Amino acid sequence: MRLLFLIIFFNASWLSAQQMVTLNGEISDAANGESLVGAVVYIKQVEGGAVTNVYGFYSLSVPPGTYDVEFRYVGFNTQNMILKLTENMRLDIELIEIEKELNTVVVSANREDANISDVEMSTAKLDIKSILKVPTFAGEVDIIKSIQLLPGVSTVGEGASGFNVRGGGVGQNLVLLDEAPVYQTSHLFGFFSVFNPDAVKDVKLYKGGIPPQYGGRLASILDIRMKEGNNKSYEFNGGVGTVFSRFSVEGPIKKEKASFILAGRRSYVDVLAKPFTDVFDNGAALYFYDLTAKANWDIDDRNRVYLSGYFGRDVFKFDERQGFDWGNQTGTIRWNHLFSDKLFSNFTGVFSDYDYGFSFGDDASDTFDWSSNIKTYDFKPEFNYFLNAQNEIVFGAEFLFYEFEPANAIGVSDGFISDISLDKKKSLETSVYFGNNQKINDRLSTQYGLRISSFRYLGGGNSYSYGTAIPGERKPWIGTQSHDNMETIAHYEVLEPRASMRYTLNPTSSIKGSYNRMNQFIHLISNTVAATPIDVWQPSTNNIKPQTGNQIAVGYFKNLQGNLFETSAEVYYKWNKNQVDYIDGADILINEFLEGDLLSGDGRAYGLELYLRKTRGRFNGWISYTLGKSELKIDGVNYGTDMAERKGQWYPNRFDQRHNLKITNNYQINDRITLSGVFSYLSGTPTTFPNDRFSQQGYVIPLLKNERGNVRIPDYHRLDVSVTWDNVYFGKKGRKNTDYFVFSVYNVYNRRNPFAIIFSQGSDRQPIHEPVETMASQISIIGSFVPAFSYNFKF
Amino acid sequence: MKNIFILLIAFVFFACENIIYPELEPSLEQYVVDAWLNDLPGSQKIFLSKSNNYFMSELPKLLSGAEVYLTDEDGNRYDFEESAEGYVWGDSLSTSFLQVGTSYQLNVSIDGIRFSGTSEMNPVPPVDSITFKYQEEDFSTAEDYYLAEVVATDLAGVGNTYWIKAWKNGLYLNKASEINIAYDAGFSVGGNIDGQVFIQPIQELINPFDTDETGEALIEPPYSIGDTIYVEIHSISESAFYFLNEVKIQTVRSGGFGALFAPPFSNVSTNLMNEDVNSAIHPVGFFNVSAISSLEQVLTSEIAQQAQEEVANKD
Repeated sequence: MRLLFLIIFFNASWLSAQQMVTLNGEISDAANGESLVGAVVYIKQVEGGAVTNVYGFYSLSVPPGTYDVEFRYVGFNTQNMILKLTENMRLDIELIEIEKELNTVVVSANREDANISDVEMSTAKLDIKSILKVPTFAGEVDIIKSIQLLPGVSTVGEGASGFNVRGGGVGQNLVLLDEAPVYQTSHLFGFFSVFNPDAVKDVKLYKGGIPPQYGGRLASILDIRMKEGNNKSYEFNGGVGTVFSRFSVEGPIKKEKASFILAGRRSYVDVLAKPFTDVFDNGAALYFYDLTAKANWDIDDRNRVYLSGYFGRDVFKFDERQGFDWGNQTGTIRWNHLFSDKLFSNFTGVFSDYDYGFSFGDDASDTFDWSSNIKTYDFKPEFNYFLNAQNEIVFGAEFLFYEFEPANAIGVSDGFISDISLDKKKSLETSVYFGNNQKINDRLSTQYGLRISSFRYLGGGNSYSYGTAIPGERKPWIGTQSHDNMETIAHYEVLEPRASMRYTLNPTSSIKGSYNRMNQFIHLISNTVAATPIDVWQPSTNNIKPQTGNQIAVGYFKNLQGNLFETSAEVYYKWNKNQVDYIDGADILINEFLEGDLLSGDGRAYGLELYLRKTRGRFNGWISYTLGKSELKIDGVNYGTDMAERKGQWYPNRFDQRHNLKITNNYQINDRITLSGVFSYLSGTPTTFPNDRFSQQGYVIPLLKNERGNVRIPDYHRLDVSVTWDNVYFGKKGRKNTDYFVFSVYNVYNRRNPFAIIFSQGSDRQPIHEPVETMASQISIIGSFVPAFSYNFKF
Repeated sequence: MKNIFILLIAFVFFACENIIYPELEPSLEQYVVDAWLNDLPGSQKIFLSKSNNYFMSELPKLLSGAEVYLTDEDGNRYDFEESAEGYVWGDSLSTSFLQVGTSYQLNVSIDGIRFSGTSEMNPVPPVDSITFKYQEEDFSTAEDYYLAEVVATDLAGVGNTYWIKAWKNGLYLNKASEINIAYDAGFSVGGNIDGQVFIQPIQELINPFDTDETGEALIEPPYSIGDTIYVEIHSISESAFYFLNEVKIQTVRSGGFGALFAPPFSNVSTNLMNEDVNSAIHPVGFFNVSAISSLEQVLTSEIAQQAQEEVANKD
């Protein structure tokens, strides 16, 4: 701890012996005013520079003098200037996008050599342009499906919501939309994500080497930033597709000062099907929608305010009274404030509400309604202090208040109402962090920091104590204690050191290494094959400890042929504690004593990620291959014949997929037609097969050997192709209006990828004195090829 | 709930299911004890068998040569004699020896191995009534039909557990999805409803929904005029409640889209133990002693008329 302070202080004091001047400002896109994230300001004489932060702001301090300064961002024309700096200067720059030429099709938003020169490792930054070219299910562009094409990222199959990073669970990823946490990233069970690509500007996934500004989940951080909205002129984007349509409008509220963006999507399977079936006549409904809204105002040189909101919902209704629905709502307000030319700050306030539920019952006197929800209130002050060209310091805090309603359940029976709701649970997560991004010399740069978090599980409501049980069996409830509102029931404090470094071997290659420790205080409770929308989030309590995860990663990064090819090889090792698992036969829904059904133990995951990307040219794309293993060891589970102590042996967790190969290609046939293809190969996930059957009172029950995950579902592979035809109707003479048409085929060779293997008895009535027939069947969620088209426009 | 399958199928016509035959290891041949006793007059039966491979669809075969008896807290012993249908106590003229509030131990001795288990007989509330609700013909059935509801009130005191069984025209509703269990008046422990009328889903789980063989409609009407319904409420031990809950989870598995919500397979619990705790042989199955209350109701045309009027009055 002390050593860190000394290093910072030493550098700061040495440099302040000289008079420094600061060059700072904002870099944005000349066409629409959008700030550019990660743009570079490079000063030749100093052989160094700065990079814009997520708000497009940069600050660079140098001794007074005359300098050659370059402002650059890939895909945009570089601006060169000669600046005489005698005092602090504010300089906002607008860069102009390069006219698309044939052999400079850009696939990456990073600086050309970012792969080598960034200290960051285990991260991936996706730009919207490359996401647009990737063929996906039903022809709809999808952020989550696109990140699954990167090394280390996978899913357990169609129908699984969310995504898995380096063998981690779906609930171990923190997904932020303009700083607001999003708990459910999927519509329709994982087929589509909730993010409207028309409103998204920047997507960054941290799989490891996570900087101290982020915390609260073990496996990854997916940071999604929305566009601010064209502040120069009105712009309309939209598309009509086979499953849903989207439309967005953005424009200036006050030219170059304030702008807004409003983007919406809605599915219309129900609208299209209505004339053909009477299934929808009695109030049945099947739709999802999302609406993203944002406004921002550049008050002056030192202040900018943003307001953003997201509202999304999925509705399945069988009739007026019965069905499922779930949705996220988030609202964020942010204020960027420049305290000085070197000190940038951002203050964020977030409200997020995630709710899900179902209803059934035929009329008002006989119903059953269940819903669950999580409300999150978040306040984050963060500061970037651009000390000098070698040090960028970050520090800040986060205050997260959660209100969980695990079950709000009302049953009405013959008009008699019973409320079987569970108590609300509250908790408060507070963190402070600081870190430094330090360039030590020409070859070595590091990022290091510390995050300190404290979690309190709060009352009103009850807390429970449980007795001991044989490991792996339900713990008996032995007592309840009631608590006052906001009284602390359990309290945890954790330290999270973070460090990463990059060592440049030569201008085309480098080695990087990182270590991080993460803690997770809220847990996604799910024991199904894949995470579903009705899985429950549970805070840490006096019985459930926070999950702790450690990860080290080392990688070798090399660019070839002048940044034409980017390659990397990275190995990681994760070791986690207090991982949540379940007893056999755990009761997850509306269970006040859920804690008695949970088990905890250790987890570990390790793997190798290989990546090769061709960044330019008519033919471009990338190959990602991950070899990985992910396991759990929990007493009471998978204990073989050790009946007495039941010490657990390592077993694969539900997301353990040994091989993960993705090949993504684009081929630009001419300036209007592009052909794209994606090939995916994933090893099968583990499942548990019954070996025997026995009878009780005429019911046939499966009997398993005492092993979890002993067999694998067959491997998953799939080929998707699409053709994109640019400028179908508009844009023929290079005008602002453009359009494009996509025809895609998902699962071209018709493979019935197994999602699950189920052993069942059939659901028809069995005659009493005949033996019940048991059989196994393989379920595929998508069993054929799926063609789709979409027409997209911009004007 | 009937519409769920139609809607999901209508939407996801791409999903499919094919039958496969994975290779399994040789059978574990585990001892199975099927001992569910009750206080009805007549004989009581316990069945002993062994487990067989999952794809062997056979009725269980009785294991011969076992010694089976019950003992109670006072040391009384009740022997079960081997017969073709199982190990039997008493005959059609016997009255039950089982008493509410008494704890019984089951002892089985076979092949030199001794198993035992205990169960206490819990009290059961009476069945207050069975009522019928009128439903107009809708797209799932070809005619108007009636839904039956069993009305009973949970006994006061947290922790009463029951198994509600139903027979339509003498035929037991034996689908695993029809296993109707209650914890107090609700679905699960911690549901917080004690001493009240059973919640609506439990009241309605006594209705059969079978596919219409003639193909005229999707399902046959649960109850029509002239049908007889007979309901029994069995008191069960709390561990038997968890056992039956686990049985439902392991055996009621929908295909297609429903597989998304399926929990992983695991073994159901048992309350039987090998007295030699270090042995690798562990019996499966369950021992439970129930008190029973019951009620039979015919759906007469008067009752049907009343049900129709109730619906008309609501509108």
